[in-house]
Amino acid sequence: MSCPELLRTQAYLDGELDGTAAIEAARHIETCAACQTSSASAARLGDALGRADLRHRAPPALRERLIAAIDAESPAHRASFVQRSFWAGAMSGAAATAAAAGLAFTLSLPPSTWSLAQSIADDHIAALLSGHPIQIASSNHHIVKPWFAGRAEVSPPTPDFPQQGFTLAGGRVDRVAGARAAVVVYRHGGHVIDLFVWPDKGSILPRNTTRHGYHSIFWKSGDLDFAAVSDTESSELEKFVALVRSAGE
Amino acid sequence: MDERRRRFEAQALPHLDAAYNLARWLSRSPADAEDIVQEAMLRAWRAFDGFRGGDMKPWLLSIVRNCWRTAGADVRRRGQVALSEAGDALPSGEPSPEATAQGASEGRRLGALIARLPDEFREVLILREMEDMSYREIAKVTGTPIGTVMSRLARARALLKEKWERT
Repeated sequence: MSCPELLRTQAYLDGELDGTAAIEAARHIETCAACQTSSASAARLGDALGRADLRHRAPPALRERLIAAIDAESPAHRASFVQRSFWAGAMSGAAATAAAAGLAFTLSLPPSTWSLAQSIADDHIAALLSGHPIQIASSNHHIVKPWFAGRAEVSPPTPDFPQQGFTLAGGRVDRVAGARAAVVVYRHGGHVIDLFVWPDKGSILPRNTTRHGYHSIFWKSGDLDFAAVSDTESSELEKFVALVRSAGE
Repeated sequence: MDERRRRFEAQALPHLDAAYNLARWLSRSPADAEDIVQEAMLRAWRAFDGFRGGDMKPWLLSIVRNCWRTAGADVRRRGQVALSEAGDALPSGEPSPEATAQGASEGRRLGALIARLPDEFREVLILREMEDMSYREIAKVTGTPIGTVMSRLARARALLKEKWERT
């Protein structure tokens, strides 16, 4: 089951690769069954670890003991101990609140969801760079939708919003979270918007992110997971997502 | 408060949870973890003048790891074995909002499996999956080349996955 490229695949999923190295690794995963299997199960494991919330927090008493121990090593400052310890206590409360806020953020972004965000943005960029962001070019949803049958694991919605300036341009198939995802491609002014659609397997979706000027918005609907990615204005992308979501309801 | 003390508290204390988490998973004991963290923080405070900028977190966690190894050597010399029940490896405090009843039991099982991983695999997994550290930072903490970090991480995940899917 092992592939000599496994460590590189792992580095890619851990967000350790950038630029062409990332694109090469992504291409390799597309063609390597062993790396697909292992990245899918690494994602499941990472999601489970994220859900499990196994990180231990330092007991508050430990913080107090530490401050006292450091005080004991700074005899010159004992005179101001009473006054300072009031402020140290107040400060440590603020520090704990800040740490908790930071923690909440890291916990809601477990590594595997972060790598999902990265891999989707990378897929979008790689498709643009390749010059072939579209495998089936059509603005007719009666052509685009059936094209996905037998190619992607899901049948995506393919609404068209020419009046609002979001026109259906076609589709392609990309790997997302170990699944063959349908990518519905739209044009908006000079920008390309990729709408990724893949089966919801209960995993936690990444937060909406912006990386290197590309915005990503994630959501779930029915038994499908969605991501919209583009370098258009984030307010425009939000408008697009609202249209897609209202068309699906 | 003098400048040195102020800088130390501002830079080191935000990583107290990370230090405790690592010590707790390495030692598998809440009491040992507190002792290790206290010792590590004092060592860091004494050596703080030698710390010339850079990343505080890997520096601090490498001290935590060294303290744990020293403590482990003491225990071995005294002929004791620091083993605790897998249940001790459970996180303290409130479960996250996402943690449903099912999630909690899954978490307990995962925690027990992680606690049984060999030290060199357990530490890279904790640093990557819970502390979200880069390979380079993990290499600094463990004092190993990045290539070793990568292969140990792959092995740690494979071991954990295998046991997780089997139980």
